[in-house]
Formats: sequence, structure tokens, C-alpha cells
Amino acid sequence: MSSSTVPEVPTGSVDQARRRPNSERFKRFAIRYGFLIVMATLFLFFGWWNPVFWRPANLFSILLGATVYGILALGVTFPLVIDGLDLSIGSVAALSVMISAYVMVVLDASGTVAILVCLMLGAGIGAINGFLIVRVKIPDLLATLGMMFLVQGVQLIPSGGRSIGRGAVLAGGVVAPGRFRDYFLFLGQGRLFGIVPTAVAIMLIVAILVFVILSLTRWGRVFYAIGSNSQAARLVGAKVNTYRMMAYILSGTIAALGGIVLAARVGRGDVSSGGTLLLDAIGSALIGFAVLGVRRPNPFGTIVGAIFISMLLNGLSMMNMPYYVQDFVKGVVLVAALAFTFGLSKTKG
Amino acid sequence: MTAVKEQDVSDAKILFEVRDIGKSFGVTRALDGVSVEFKPGELLAMVGANGAGKSTLIKIICGYHAEYEGQILVEGKEVQFHTPKAAYDNGIATVHQIINEGVVPSMTVYENLTLAKLLNPGLPLFYKKEALRIEAREVAATMGLEIDLDTPVDQLPQSERQMIAIARALAIKPRLLILDEPTSSLSDKESERLFAMLDRLKQLGVSILYVSHRLHEIGRIADRVIVIRDGKLAKTLQRPFQVKDMVTAMVGEIPKHSFLADRERGIDDTNTQVELRDVVVAEGAPPVNLKVRKGEILGLTGLIGAGKTELAQVLFGITQAMSGEIRMAGKVIHPRNMSEAIRAGIFYVPEDRAENAVVPLFNIRQNMTLPFLRVFDRLGIMDVNSEIKRCREMIGAMGIKCEGPEAEMDSLSGGNQQKVVVARWLLEKYNLVILDEPFQGVDIRSRHDIGEYLRTSIGDKSAIIIATDLDELIEVADRIVVMNNGAIIGEQEYEDIDRDKLLQLVAQEKEIQEREESAV
Ligand SMILES: Nc1ncnc2c1ncn2[C@@H]1O[C@H](COP(=O)(O)OP(=O)(O)OP(=O)(O)O)[C@@H](O)[C@H]1O
Ligand SMILES: [Mg+2]
Repeated sequence: MSSSTVPEVPTGSVDQARRRPNSERFKRFAIRYGFLIVMATLFLFFGWWNPVFWRPANLFSILLGATVYGILALGVTFPLVIDGLDLSIGSVAALSVMISAYVMVVLDASGTVAILVCLMLGAGIGAINGFLIVRVKIPDLLATLGMMFLVQGVQLIPSGGRSIGRGAVLAGGVVAPGRFRDYFLFLGQGRLFGIVPTAVAIMLIVAILVFVILSLTRWGRVFYAIGSNSQAARLVGAKVNTYRMMAYILSGTIAALGGIVLAARVGRGDVSSGGTLLLDAIGSALIGFAVLGVRRPNPFGTIVGAIFISMLLNGLSMMNMPYYVQDFVKGVVLVAALAFTFGLSKTKG
Repeated sequence: MTAVKEQDVSDAKILFEVRDIGKSFGVTRALDGVSVEFKPGELLAMVGANGAGKSTLIKIICGYHAEYEGQILVEGKEVQFHTPKAAYDNGIATVHQIINEGVVPSMTVYENLTLAKLLNPGLPLFYKKEALRIEAREVAATMGLEIDLDTPVDQLPQSERQMIAIARALAIKPRLLILDEPTSSLSDKESERLFAMLDRLKQLGVSILYVSHRLHEIGRIADRVIVIRDGKLAKTLQRPFQVKDMVTAMVGEIPKHSFLADRERGIDDTNTQVELRDVVVAEGAPPVNLKVRKGEILGLTGLIGAGKTELAQVLFGITQAMSGEIRMAGKVIHPRNMSEAIRAGIFYVPEDRAENAVVPLFNIRQNMTLPFLRVFDRLGIMDVNSEIKRCREMIGAMGIKCEGPEAEMDSLSGGNQQKVVVARWLLEKYNLVILDEPFQGVDIRSRHDIGEYLRTSIGDKSAIIIATDLDELIEVADRIVVMNNGAIIGEQEYEDIDRDKLLQLVAQEKEIQEREESAV
């Protein structure tokens, strides 16, 4: 109140009333666009440092880098919306990599079969997660953490702990008969119309689907209502348990899809493909809270978050930053983005 | 701001004072130039319509709103309260309108009562648990709380949570105690305990600021009444208070309720909409027989714990009856869950809006249409425009004070939030709508508006209104039924509603309970 440059007028309350909305409007603007502005600034900075950063090929590789955990992040949006979390997505994706390799390379079955088997496994694991959480009433973090370890173990069983590539030697000394099908590899390595990487297109399609479901349909409305006040949702007749179950099934299925894209990208069943998928995915979804200051999980923000992480890694490695610095920066950004959105909007009263 | 003249306030020194307080939210001017003095040992009541600005003033005094215009003075010196702690340190304790802001639901009663102590930086790392427990027990005893201290608060009914929130406020030994609608969820008995407590505090010289929509109780306990209207101090009233004066200052003249005349139209006795035959709500409960006629608004009253809500829950399919029959327009129905009940046209507005009804993330429109999303579903996609249109109509019909359908719930005053969650169930045609304590925190004018809307829209359907406060029912009901211990023990038609007799029934009800309690 003291920073008044306006001369004191008797009708003080009037110009105060006029001034207040202004500062409020600024704050709202900062909450809404603050993150995007930071992102744009970084984008300019990286390019200024090294113009190669701006080359279309590099931009596509940033997008491509975001696809796998971006897809996972879109899936985990559903558990996040109902105020839960799914920690098994990373290992589900890794399982999906191994199983698709196993189905095509060892069993010599078609890519379509591989895709269907993976998606069904993902849905099944999601259903088990949902069952443990909804029926057995294990807290979501514990249930999905347990599932994460379990799946990590299961993933190694078919191949006896070895990676599966073309011509791999199996346990009995037999050479695997099959190989990755071309149309399967196209999902990870191809380009639509020779321009857009297929994987990026898949991510965008998933994003649009998730957006439509969550933001435009009544089911999405119920998902959000459950996350905000599940008791109220129950008392308007929503089948809360069914929805919570669905959230985990969707998250598992979409995680399996992410694994399929990953398998198609690397073209072999790599035992160590899980890597940092889980954390990058959850990081993307959480950064998504800050994008546009919506303070809740949302698919648009999630995509932006995933691209942001990928851009950050790409830019930092162009500056020859060692990998541990990259992790550090990633962490700082995540905390800062969340502190910014939640901190600013908390003091809105 | 001249010297105090009242004789009943012995100590003339004014401890707290606010001057020219103003507050805007965006374009809404919530408060404008309000000045109030708080005298030691005085119970100052504040009344006003929903959205008048009462809670806003309280939130400024208790340091919740960091930005405001005007001054707060403690012992004549200006202070800036930018945090609740600053207000605390100056001896101001507040119990807010939303109970769950006053308690930590996931913690036990004991932890809640000693939270202030536990958070105190002076507390040694290995503090004496026993000493704190004794203290908690003392605090509980002053409020007449007879609950196990180790019960988690979220397992307690709303009324007991409210008592705990008050006990917590008292635990810091305040010099100014602020209560925002403390009785809206309390039974008469608990209210009486609270009033006795307030009396004792007054003896100790504590100033009390008390907000309520129950004007009768204010007439009884207040020393002075201020009326807030549209953010301004409209009037100060001195003893003796007339309810009529308060109402006029709050909302102007209430038109001689047109809908009351309708009550005499005579409802056809033979035309039953809902019938309960020997419905046993729970193991060992007495069978309930009840008929609700077409076009009737039935009032259901009784003490907290008399079984009113339990009955409603059976009708709405939340719980199942042990035995008996429910008939809707002659057909036997047995809703096994809520969606079946809704399909049968039975709607239920639950009590305790913060816990059971409000979706804080959603704006007014999304909150209002929540039970009937199907209606706005066009091939899977929500038709937001018709949602907005419908929502606008309800905002008008219910007199909800807000910036529009897209305003957030937390920008609404308590009473207006309540109107939103009531409106939600009047959006579609019902066969039977049950409103459980629908007037919690709703001002007298809006009660009439809601009653009127219900009456004009009811047609040949039926409504049950559950309320502990008899006066609320007398305003709207065609017939009042009294429950006790799960049984229906009396009823009166509108034509011969006799307030005293009903109160007698309630008194008798108390006797029965007390006799039983002492028999155990
Ligand atoms: N955080 C907020 N953002 C925007 N508007 C607000 C906010 N809080 C309150 N208001 C508005 O300020 C006005 C006063 O609200 P307040 O809560 O003080 O009313 P009240 O007198 O306590 O009403 P009730 O009896 O219903 O509790 C209302 O118009 C309300 O919509
Ligand atoms: Mg209020």
C-alpha cells in the first residue's frame, strides 16, 4: 500500500480499487505464462549459445527424445487426476520392450501380435494395481511400488536375464528364429510423409485422446471430481471405484504403448531399457501442473513438460555439461516450477 | 469513536479496534469502510446476508488476508496482521466457518487439542507426553467433550469436530475470540454448552465476535449487534433486540411469503408419492412407517443422532434397509446404490457441504451439473454452453451471489456455496428430493428463496427437508415429523403446527434420552 506514486486523493478507495486488479492481473499473468516464458528464454539461450540447437533436425530429435516418457507421463496423468500415483509405469514399459522382442524374435510371431500382447499385459498390470488399491485398499504408492519391483523381475524371465536381439542365442544354444518386423520398427524410427517422426505423431495422438477424455467428456469431469473430493463424487452417484480402477488400467496400457515405441526405436529387447523412464515421466507430469498455472494434472502441460525436459537435456549436452549436472538441473527446474505455481497462487487471498 | 457508555461493560478500555476496513476481490468490493470496537467482556454479534462480507472481515482480523485497507488497532496502537500467527500472538483466536480449517482431520482428538503446544518452538525435543494429555483432557472437559482422545477427528460427526475446533481456539486463552457460525452444525444441547462457555469467558473479560444466521439465538446471547450489508456497516443495534429489526437491516423487508399461502391449498391425502412400510434401517432399530404425499414438503426433525440421516441414506441407496418396503408412486423399489436411487428419481442433498458436496477444484458450473452430466452429454462431449445456460438460471432462481457460472467455489461466501450444492439437485425433475440440513449457513432471505423455489417447482412430486432447527422447518414444511432413536414419535400438519407443542415434543424427546442414558 505504501508504493503509491499516485498523489493522495480523498477518494482513496477508488484508485485503490482500480490499482488492485492490476497487480492481481499481473500475478495471474505470471502464474499462467511464467513457465512458458522461462521455457522460451531457455530455447533462445541454447540457440544463441550454439545455433546447431535450432536446426530442424535437432528440434525433431528433442521431440523424439521426449516421446517415450512423454507417452508414459500422459498415461500417469489419469492416476494423478484421481489423486493417486502409478510407480510401475517405467517397469511396465521395460516389460513391453522385452515382451515385444520375445514375441517377434524368439516366437517368430508378427508385430501385430507383439503389440496386442504388450497392450494386454499393460492393461492387466494396471488392473492388478487397481484391484490392490481399490479392493485390497493398499495405499497407491505402496501397491505400485511393489508392482514395479515385481514387473522388473518378471521382465527378465522369458529371456533368462539376457537381452534379445536379432539372432540372439537362447538358453539351450538355439539361435532365435525371428526378427523385428519393419512395420513395427516404423513406429519408432519411421517418419510420416517423410517429415514427422512416427513416435512424435503417436505421442501427439495419445495427448489429444487424453485431452479429449479428461477435458471434454463427462468421464473426465468425474475423474477430476474424484481427485478433488471423492466423497462428494460418490454422493452424486459416481462409481468411484470403477473410475479409480480405470485410471490404473489406462495408465498401464499407455505405459505399455510407450514401451512399444521404445522397442521400435532401439530395435532390440534391451534388459536395461527401463532406466530413468519413471522419473522423467512423473517429472514431466508434475511440471505440467505449472504450465498455464492450472495446478492440476493436464495433458497439455504434460506434453510441454516432457518436451521441456528433453530440450533441457539436449541443450545442456550441447554445452558439454556432464550428465550429473543435467540431473541436477532437471531437479532444480522441477522444484522451481512447482514452487512457482503453488507458491504464487497460495497467496492469492 | 467516543467513550463507551454502556454500563453492562465494566471495563471501558478498548483492547481491539478496526477502522475503515476495506477489501476487494477483483471487481467485487467485499468490504468498505467498516469500523468496529471490541469491548472486553462483551459478546458482539455480527449478522448479514450471505456474501455481505462477514467472513471477510473476520479473515482480515485474524491475519488470513494479508492485504487489506484500513487499520487494526491493539490497545490503541496500529498493528499489521499479515499472518494468522501475528493475530494469535496478540490473543486473537478464530474458529472459521469451514470446520475442517479448524481441525486437522487426519489427527486424533488429542493431537488436535495440543497442536498449538506441539508446534511451539519452545517445546523440548523429548516432551512429556503425559502432561500434554492431561492438558488435552482439561481442554476437552471445559467444552464438555466426552470423546476418546485417541479417536481420529475424521471419524467424528461434524458437531463434535466443531466443538474440538472451538476447544482448540480456547486453548490459547484468547483475549478476542471470533466464532464464524459456530452453531450451524451443533445440536441444541451442544449450543447451550457453548453459550454457557461464552458466558464464563465474558466474565473473564474476553471480547467475543459472534457470527450466526440464527437470529433467535443472537437475540438471547448478544450484548450488541452489528449488521453488515453489502460490505458496509449498516446498523448497530442495542438490547433488547427484535428479530424483525435485524432482518430489516440485513435484507430489507421480506415480502410476506407468497408461498406460504400455497400451503393451504390442501394436499390430497390419498395421493401418496413415497411410502415406507416397516422399514428397519439398522440392526435393532425400530420399524419406520411414513407416507409422503404428492406435492408435499415434509419436515423431519429430531436431535442429532435421532436417525434422520440414516433414514435418508436408506432411501438414497447409501445403506440397505434390514427389512421393510419402500414404495414410490405405488411401485416397490429398493435402491441398492446411489445410481439406482438417482435413476428412480430420488435425489439427496447431504449435510456437511465441505465434506460431502463441494468439489473445491471445480467452478460453480461444474459443481452444479455434477450429478447430471449425462444431460449435457452430446455424443460423449460435454455441451458447456447449455451447462452455462442452465447454471445461470439456477443462480438467478436461488439468488446465488457470485460473478457468474465460471466463478471458483472458494470465491463464494459460505451460504452461497451451500446454495450451489442445493441447486445441483434441483436441476432435474425428481420424484423425491431429500435435503439434509440444507439451510446450514444460509441467511433468512435465501431460506425463503429456496423454500419458494422448491414449492413452485415441486408439482406433484415430494420433498423431505431434514433440519434440527425447528424454526427453519416451520418456515417451509407442510407437515413436521419428529424422530427419536430411529423411531417416529409424532407429527403435525401445517394447519395445526404449534411451535410450543413441537418444542415440547423435542423436550420430551430429550427426557426420554436422558432417562435412557441414566438407566445405562
Ligand atoms: N477469495 C475470494 N475471491 C473472490 N471473491 C471473494 C473471495 N472471498 C469472498 N469473496 C466475495 O466477497 C463477498 C463477501 O464474502 P464473505 O465470505 O465475507 O460473506 P459472508 O458475509 O461471510 O457470507 P455467509 O453468510 O454466506 O458466510 C462475497 O461476494 C464473496 O463472493
Ligand atoms: Mg461467511
